[in-house]
Amino acid sequence: MSKYPKTAAALAVASLIAVAALADPLPPDATYRPLPTQPLDVVKALDEAQKPQVMQRQQALLEQRYDLSNRPIDNAMMSGGRKPVQDGVRVRLATGVTWDSLSAMSPDEIRQRGLLPAGFMPLPHVKQATGGQVFPNQQIDEINRQESRNIRRFDIDFDLPDQFTPEFPPPIFLTTHPELGDVSHGQLLTIKNYYQLMIGIITPVQMEGLRLLLTPFPQEEFNQTEDRKSADQSLGVTCLDCHANFHTNAAFHQTPDVRPQAARFRLDTVSLRGMFNQQIHGSKRSLRSIEDFTQFEQRTAYFNGDHVSAQRKGVNLPDRFDQVPMMAQMQNIIDFPPAPKLDPLGRLDPSKATQQELAGEQVFLGKGQCAQCHMPQTSFLDNNMHDLKLERFYNVGQTVNGLVTLPDGPIKTFTLRGIKDSPPYMHDGRLLTLADTVEFFNLVLGLKLTQEEKDSLVAYMLTL
Amino acid sequence: MRLLTLVTIAIAFVSPAAFGQSTNPASPAPGNPGGVPPGTRQSAPGMPAPRQTNQPDRTFIHAAAVGGLAEVELGRLAAQRATSRRVREFAERMVRDHSAANDRLGTLANTNGIALPDKFDEEHKAMRAKLEQSSDAQFDRAYIEGQIIEHQKTAQLLEYEIGSGENAELKNFASDLLPTVLDHLRMAQTISAEMAHQAATEMPRKEMPRERR
Ligand code: HEC
Ligand code: HEC
Repeated sequence: MSKYPKTAAALAVASLIAVAALADPLPPDATYRPLPTQPLDVVKALDEAQKPQVMQRQQALLEQRYDLSNRPIDNAMMSGGRKPVQDGVRVRLATGVTWDSLSAMSPDEIRQRGLLPAGFMPLPHVKQATGGQVFPNQQIDEINRQESRNIRRFDIDFDLPDQFTPEFPPPIFLTTHPELGDVSHGQLLTIKNYYQLMIGIITPVQMEGLRLLLTPFPQEEFNQTEDRKSADQSLGVTCLDCHANFHTNAAFHQTPDVRPQAARFRLDTVSLRGMFNQQIHGSKRSLRSIEDFTQFEQRTAYFNGDHVSAQRKGVNLPDRFDQVPMMAQMQNIIDFPPAPKLDPLGRLDPSKATQQELAGEQVFLGKGQCAQCHMPQTSFLDNNMHDLKLERFYNVGQTVNGLVTLPDGPIKTFTLRGIKDSPPYMHDGRLLTLADTVEFFNLVLGLKLTQEEKDSLVAYMLTL
Repeated sequence: MRLLTLVTIAIAFVSPAAFGQSTNPASPAPGNPGGVPPGTRQSAPGMPAPRQTNQPDRTFIHAAAVGGLAEVELGRLAAQRATSRRVREFAERMVRDHSAANDRLGTLANTNGIALPDKFDEEHKAMRAKLEQSSDAQFDRAYIEGQIIEHQKTAQLLEYEIGSGENAELKNFASDLLPTVLDHLRMAQTISAEMAHQAATEMPRKEMPRERR
């Protein structure tokens, strides 16, 4: 009995220590968005003054990392036939190594000698400290033309050269109407034209879903408060401002899933093609349904996972029983582009494919191990997340243009169907061409592929 | 006196990037002007003049100074008391690395006219007390567990300063330090895993009741 008071005293001491150990946390703005400290006109003037330097920094980084020249592959166009696919490895090597000598080294050696090509490392947002959504100029101009809605920021511009983004506007393929092919009529779907374009093709429920996907709602940088980055009070952004024609225009953002700000990695907009076959959604969050993602994208793409900030700027929470399913069902009828050389199991039809493409498929299924994660019969997905452990190859914690480079951790396997249509590659868009992705996986998986095998893999991926 | 001036000039000279005018991606990146405190002096429009601090800078410098102090003092304690060679070596490295970082922080605080704390806060006092009270058998484990938490917190603190600070010299300091701190964290985690493994192999094996079929 007499033992109890003693235990209680010991517990009390322990809890005192526990309380003391938490005495010095980081301030709230390490997690929550701080309120602006200055009026908008002052902020805007400062932002505009900073802009040339901000853009030059990012340009310098891109030039250091990549060969940005415009060098298309002969006879390889994206699915709409509007834009050529870029050729060659664009990631620059460190001086004194070749791709072969690099892949002969151990991860430790590459890390210790600092030889990992910088282009394989996480790609920073143009302005890490501010972050937020950034649209390519074509999207900005077309939205302005059709809707007179402004999605241009005064503090930064889109950073990647035009040749490394998807064709614009991308074609739209419907699972419900394979016989029609591209139903976009070469136009960008907007709130102004969706009805004329889709009447008679989609159902009333899908039409209402589409309307909601095209309706602008306030967003962190585009809203009516003083805390925004558009010159005028903005009506906000729509889902398809990034997922242009349900594909992607390479608009980018920062992950909503990480804090503090310096550690938030860049996110390249994913295509919504083939969502119907995908079981997990979001590169990190692994949400289990398209409905979950659709509902929550208002909290994440729009407000960085900060529901507190959203409340002030005007939050839109689509109704789960009515609106969300309609938005989801519209997304679920978006098909991949046709791949005429693939059979129903996702394998090449030998009577249609070239020798090189067939050789590439063999590498993909065999030595390259690609098919272990990108499984042909399930749309080149495995519905899993994988940690590629790139940090074996570099010292983590370096700061690059304000981004602290940390291990990526597990990331969702992306589909490779229609992959030639969606540069830049990887969750943050750090790779510009398919040849870059082959060099990346060759190193990360320790494959030791020959040049011939690498070339055949690229040729194969163009057929998907 | 002369020496100090020389050192200051040298520091200013080797880190021109520290003044926020650079387009070099490795230099401190510009902040969001939305969060710049009113009355901030500017060397050019949009560029806070050097040698000013905002609230995150001051939070950072205070926490980093106390943490650095604790690293060195607890490291000295552990270098004497630790039983395992790996832990002693780790402790010696902490004394070395964090003394160097503390010196640099001291110089920065000086040139920026900030007074640094020279005492432990409650949190680190409690940690010291806990270590002093642990038996020899417990000491290594207690020190390393504490080091893991300390380095986790320091890494987050440095990332916070890199993203939210305004003073380019301090941001530069934080950027330079972060890889080392993450390296220390990895070392401490490895040692901790080894100790856990060793403890498991040394634990007297209890009779396990046979599984019934
Ligand atoms: C910044 C532009 C942007 C806007 C606006 C946007 N998204 Fe996204 N969306 C993204 C990005 C980036 C991702 C990838 C997220 C990730 O990897 O975590 C994504 C992912 C998704 C996914 C998951 C796809 C997958 O492959 O995992 C769905 C579904 C989706 N968005 C639907 C929507 C809907 C619905 C809206 C409107 C409510 C919307 N998006 C608005 C950029 C945007
Ligand atoms: C261990 C599983 C795994 C294997 C094996 C694998 N991948 Fe991937 N792949 C992934 C993951 C995970 C991602 C997303 C990584 C990221 O964004 O950081 C990815 C992304 C890609 C992308 C970019 C997709 C996009 O939309 O941006 C391409 C292209 C790709 N892989 C090709 C290949 C090729 C070619 C191989 C074989 C040489 C291969 N992968 C082997 C898991 C794998």
